[in-house]
Amino acid sequence: MNVTSILRAVRRLPISGKVGLVLVLFWIAIAAIGPFIAPYPPGSFANEEVFAGSSGQFWLGSDFLGRDVLSRLLSGARFTVGLSAVAVTIAVCIGTGFALMAAVGPRWVDELLSRAMDTLISIPSKIFALVLVAAFGSSLVLLTLIIAITYVPGNFRIARSLAVGLVRLDYVEVARARGEGRLHLALVEVLPNMIKPLFADIGLRFVFIVLLLSGLSFLGLGLQPPDADLGSLVRENTSGLAEGALAIIAPAVAIASLTVGVNLLIDAATQGKAR
Amino acid sequence: MSAASPASPWRGPLTLIAKRVGMAFVTLVLVSAVIFTISGLLPGDAAQEVLGQGATPEQIAALRHEMGLDRPALLRYLEWLKGIASGDPGDSLVANMPVADIISERLPNTLVLAGLTTLFAVPIAFLIGIWSAVTRGRSADRALNLMTLAMVALPEFLVATIAVLVFSVKLLWLPSITIVPQDPTLGEFLRAYAMPVLVLGVGVIAQLGRMIRAAIIAELDRPYVEMARLKGVSPRRLIFRHVLPNAVGPIVNAMALSLSYLFGGAIIVETIFSYPGLASLMVNAVTSRDMPLLQACAMLFCATYLLLVLIADTVAILANPRLRQG
Amino acid sequence: MVDLSSTALSRRGLLGGLASGLVLAPADRLIGKPRTGGRIRVASIASSTADTLDPAKGNLSTDYLRHYLLYSGLTQYDSQVRGQPALAVSMETRDNVVWTIKLRSGVHFHNGKAFGADDVVYSLMRHRDAAVGSKVAAIAEQFASARANGKLEVELRLTGPNPDLPIILAAPQFLIVENGRRDFSVANGTGPFVLHAFSPGIRTVVRRNPNFWKPGKPYLDEIEVIAIPDELSRVNALLSGDVQMINAVSPGSVKRVRASSGHAIMETKSGLFTDLVMRRDHPVTGHPDFVLAMKYLMDRELIKRALFRGFATIGNDQPISPLDPYFNPDIPQRQFDPDRARFLLKRAGLLGTRLPVYVSPAANLSVDMGSILQEHAAQIGLKLAVNRVPSDGYWSTHWMKHPLTFGNVNPRPTADMMFSLFFQSKATANESGWNSPQFDKMLIEARQATDPARRKAIYGDMQWLVHNHGGVGVPVFISLLDGYDRRLRGLFPIPLGGFMGYTFGEHVWLDA
Repeated sequence: MNVTSILRAVRRLPISGKVGLVLVLFWIAIAAIGPFIAPYPPGSFANEEVFAGSSGQFWLGSDFLGRDVLSRLLSGARFTVGLSAVAVTIAVCIGTGFALMAAVGPRWVDELLSRAMDTLISIPSKIFALVLVAAFGSSLVLLTLIIAITYVPGNFRIARSLAVGLVRLDYVEVARARGEGRLHLALVEVLPNMIKPLFADIGLRFVFIVLLLSGLSFLGLGLQPPDADLGSLVRENTSGLAEGALAIIAPAVAIASLTVGVNLLIDAATQGKAR
Repeated sequence: MSAASPASPWRGPLTLIAKRVGMAFVTLVLVSAVIFTISGLLPGDAAQEVLGQGATPEQIAALRHEMGLDRPALLRYLEWLKGIASGDPGDSLVANMPVADIISERLPNTLVLAGLTTLFAVPIAFLIGIWSAVTRGRSADRALNLMTLAMVALPEFLVATIAVLVFSVKLLWLPSITIVPQDPTLGEFLRAYAMPVLVLGVGVIAQLGRMIRAAIIAELDRPYVEMARLKGVSPRRLIFRHVLPNAVGPIVNAMALSLSYLFGGAIIVETIFSYPGLASLMVNAVTSRDMPLLQACAMLFCATYLLLVLIADTVAILANPRLRQG
Repeated sequence: MVDLSSTALSRRGLLGGLASGLVLAPADRLIGKPRTGGRIRVASIASSTADTLDPAKGNLSTDYLRHYLLYSGLTQYDSQVRGQPALAVSMETRDNVVWTIKLRSGVHFHNGKAFGADDVVYSLMRHRDAAVGSKVAAIAEQFASARANGKLEVELRLTGPNPDLPIILAAPQFLIVENGRRDFSVANGTGPFVLHAFSPGIRTVVRRNPNFWKPGKPYLDEIEVIAIPDELSRVNALLSGDVQMINAVSPGSVKRVRASSGHAIMETKSGLFTDLVMRRDHPVTGHPDFVLAMKYLMDRELIKRALFRGFATIGNDQPISPLDPYFNPDIPQRQFDPDRARFLLKRAGLLGTRLPVYVSPAANLSVDMGSILQEHAAQIGLKLAVNRVPSDGYWSTHWMKHPLTFGNVNPRPTADMMFSLFFQSKATANESGWNSPQFDKMLIEARQATDPARRKAIYGDMQWLVHNHGGVGVPVFISLLDGYDRRLRGLFPIPLGGFMGYTFGEHVWLDA
């Protein structure tokens, strides 16, 4: 993959895909440089007025404590983007890894993993996360791990059903008859053929993680102050909803644009290849 | 992308059910062990939570003894296991009531809310999914796609709060909390449930709609669809007679997941609408360290999930001619 | 008006001077005649499967609310937090140790049984039984013995003098239950309402007690109590007319409630506070300069303005609020002074120290207070890491267990209770681990003092001690905000809690 081929791929994307790409790149950029271009430290009580509207000094107004919404948004984006991306990656690696093991491995491995995953998935995710956070605390690393673990079983379920379907197909049987090892079967024969539907799943799962973060902040868990992810920004400013404060609209729009962007891009990219 | 089940399809749904029921018990025991282990790591215990901030150490010790919390954890677990095996989930440590009584007070609430949401959301999800799939790539599909994405992307508490502000506070059309009067008329009943069903429905419609679209599109790409089209089968007949039966596997599977979410995952909706369901009961059990109650909730959620998945797999086999005939 | 917080008066036994239909001062100011009838629904902040009908076990505001609806006490609070006669018509003592309590005649429990001395003896002494699990077991330890003299008189002997007894007995846990009652699956009290339905964690429905011992009261036919934990939802439920009264309105929502023509806010100034707790047993937080520096670092004005929108009273690092008759107004107000804080920290060699401070939604607004403190500390070179932990388990595992935590102390009816629960060296909840023999001695001295002026002087000095040396920072006293439907009449604040100190049920009526 060189630069020109990437550019060609981008040019072939439908409009929706290009919009998605722009949104995703925008949020990655914000996540990277946001804290450096924020006009105020995220915790500083810059404005005496709470839920102030937009002004030259405070582009997105002030929040429920009189802090600068723009600064908090710029600083918060990296948590939502980074944490969700890392958590989804971990979840998918473990989930899909297990799924491949279950598909190509001996029967008992499949049974064991399936039972273990059923166990995890049947406990409602928010309550599961609540118990883990209460038991282990909520540092950034722990929070990422807890969220990742919460979403492993969902990915496993989908990946396993894809992989089991593929393993039964003729070309895999042929490879097996050729005497290829299980690792080869999993990584060379099966995995490449399930990438596309897997990506669609990753997109949705990314959204769920962003939402779980905000749901956790609703239950009083989540990141340590004064840091806040986008969902927490929405949550902590809900009292401004009735007056239509920018402090709640801005982070809500941010979440929507990020998650919609990711999914538009993934949809377009995976469909693009199909045609 | 079919819902492959561990049992080979030609052995039929009956074998599947028998095997799954056996496996379900293994899973339930696993869940109870996981819950017991994790909750052992939680700070504090039921005696401390009941007595609160001002308790003296002697009081805590006395209550701990009365609750049996001073015995080894493994012993308590095995006793609980023995009880549940004979169908008795034990007594709540906190409420001075049998766990079964507490649950039976809340279970109907959760079932009604989940049931109504299903009735409301599933038809709409099908409509959106099918419409979106047959107009694939065209503007209707794009608009629906964007709409469902936005619906998935909004935090539930935000949707709920906006809905309350608009329909309850501003317009005074619907109650902001869900309290069903005794012996309600149909109108009162629907009014009471309108808001939580609407809010829960948003997420379910969006997710399920997207899944249905994906499943149908996957079928539309198969050669038999092209054949049928060439043979002059009408689009409507094509979708309902040929495509849907084949796509039913992934669709019922997605439905099973959504329903299981409605059963145990409605914590935010229950909190905002002050609706006494099972999810908030389980959170309550966690915070009060009420182990028997917590275990009972977990068992219930797990059993429901397994049952739903089993039904989904059975339906998939029965409905799909290819799987049925093997 | 009888002042029971004054020893002289209660010793002379003036309590009996009031007629049964007692009139409370603020009631005079109310317009309109009470109307009987109507049903309302009220929403409190929390309920759980631990909800109880046993007054001794009452632990949360919703419990207090329920118990005051169903039961009556020997005394009851008025708007000045004095103990007014209720089931007791008089309480006489010569030495503040042996009390003769005369009981009201003609009072009946909901099940028809006549109320008498046996019920009082049982209700008071059961708190000493560990199996009851009473929330006030520590207070009840001072009940040495109780004895019935005939049907309508009780002699209560204390282990030491306590002039505040009439105030203490008005607490929700000391409400009177029937002699021998162990089964609390039903509620059999003498209160203004009779239990109609009760499901723990869901709802309580009570109906008017036609035989209530205050003639004409209560006014409402039915009250339903539910809980809505989410503040925004609670306010929305009020504004949409689904409930007629709520407590714990956040200051940010006051504007919204006031903007509605049908609703109003009742501000109850109270002694409630959220305090920074600095443990004595840690080398840094136990250093006097550090403690003082943190007190100077509290931006009380900002906390009052930003967090409470003005619905708070500036605190002065001691727990007695300006509402309390024993409040000492001579202690100068400590101002926000980061330079002085920096100087103190520098002198102690503690600049650049890194310390975690534990905050939790469990302690009212401590998360935001922690953030403010962190911000100001950073500016003078002290690195505080705000560590937010879940409400769940906060009190048992974090509060007082780390060098820097936040506590949350509810209003107490007497200065004695506040000091003995939170500042006495041996107290379980001595938050900072403070150990001052001088303070402990003064506490006992105040109890023994029979002259009110002398007590006031001692309590005044104790406030100085805590202000200067105590290990807690008290930034503000928090006002309690109730929202209510304007048709609801007869409300006045009682500083011990929202819902008129949780006793609103017998006082309010609904205008047509």
